[in-house]
Amino acid sequence: MKKLIRFTLNGHEVSAEVESHRMLLEVLRNTFHLTGTKEGCGQGECGACTVLVDGLSVDSCLYPAFEVEGKSVTTIEGLVEEGSRLHPIQEAFVEHGGIQCGFCTPGMIMSTKALLDENPHPTDDEIKRGISGNLCRCTGYVQIVESIRKAAEKY
Amino acid sequence: MKKFDYYQPESLKEAYGLMEKLNGEARFIAGGTDVIVRIKQGALHPDALISLRRISALKGLGNEDGLSMGSMTLFRDIERDPAIARDYPALGEAASVLANPQVRNVATIGGNLCNAAPSADAAPPLMVLEATLTIEGPGGQREVSIEDFFRGPGETCLEHTEVVTRITIPKKRKGTGMAFLKIGRVAQDIAIANAAALIVVENGVCRKCRLSAGAVAPVPLRLKRIEGIVEGRKIEPDLLDRVAEMVQEDVSPITDVRSTAQYRKTVSGILVKRAIKEALDRAG
Repeated sequence: MKKLIRFTLNGHEVSAEVESHRMLLEVLRNTFHLTGTKEGCGQGECGACTVLVDGLSVDSCLYPAFEVEGKSVTTIEGLVEEGSRLHPIQEAFVEHGGIQCGFCTPGMIMSTKALLDENPHPTDDEIKRGISGNLCRCTGYVQIVESIRKAAEKY
Repeated sequence: MKKFDYYQPESLKEAYGLMEKLNGEARFIAGGTDVIVRIKQGALHPDALISLRRISALKGLGNEDGLSMGSMTLFRDIERDPAIARDYPALGEAASVLANPQVRNVATIGGNLCNAAPSADAAPPLMVLEATLTIEGPGGQREVSIEDFFRGPGETCLEHTEVVTRITIPKKRKGTGMAFLKIGRVAQDIAIANAAALIVVENGVCRKCRLSAGAVAPVPLRLKRIEGIVEGRKIEPDLLDRVAEMVQEDVSPITDVRSTAQYRKTVSGILVKRAIKEALDRAG
């Protein structure tokens, strides 16, 4: 079964013919070549595939592509601001070493965006709960939490 | 991954029609955080999925005479609802520790129940709150107490063509306190054990006690034998110790990757005891 789906992707109206068993992650990476969104576990445990759908963080590996019809999707590529400037959250991760191998970083940053959009001044506990669906296999959580704290100062 | 068709009906009638047309080879899907994972793992092989996300009759949260939730209510919304936090904190707490934010943003209370994991975090609070599930299918509507809903791991009393449409909770009585507790390896993990307690206290005596323990039997348990021991008594340390011992007798956990059966037994008793204490503090 195939269908033409229409949605907003990083601020642009897009459409794509999609097979019914595809997840949003596959459409982002294979159809739109937005490879910033990663596939880690594929089972909703690691958060490497986190994107925003209508402003809410979701695991795109478990999000049926058909469900995105009419919705607005933001990926890590969509955070880059005019003139290719990094988003303040991205800058904070760079400045404060919230990155080791980098594989979890796009997902971490998207979860951070969802967190700060709802709660611009989170406590450390709220930060940890906010990224509880994102695993860093390098275990660099201390710098990640610090990066989020610093990003919140500029939010 | 196995290929499947994906249908998005806008009404229950349309959903039943699709299920009939597909000769039962389809499966209903809510938020998908369990069903999609099981398809990816090869544990489910449906030819088609029928999504319930567009059916408006399954949405909405009302708090007039008790609490009424559409089965497609997101854990995200339960977690943030001020009336639930005030009147049914055990449910709000369970919603706030279920999996992680990404999952809570799509997972639904009806989906959590229909997946029927013995560890389902929504089950113990709904058990102690004596929730009623409204079930509907092409043949009509029926109401089932949550206690009678679960039949085994992954099994419920639902027919293949039926869906849970609504979950209702009776109005909170004066002097009621309740709590939900969970223990897991890390914040987002499935429970090693969970528990909920609801207590009504009058003049220092427990007038009503409802207890539930999860992840320690093939289905989420109501602990009726123990409720009977607590009711009519003053809740004191000796009684709580006895409760913890009795919980250990009444559960039948398994050993798996998350925990041993023995640890689950012990910790389940402790969780129930602590949940009663917390409920008692709140009954004030």
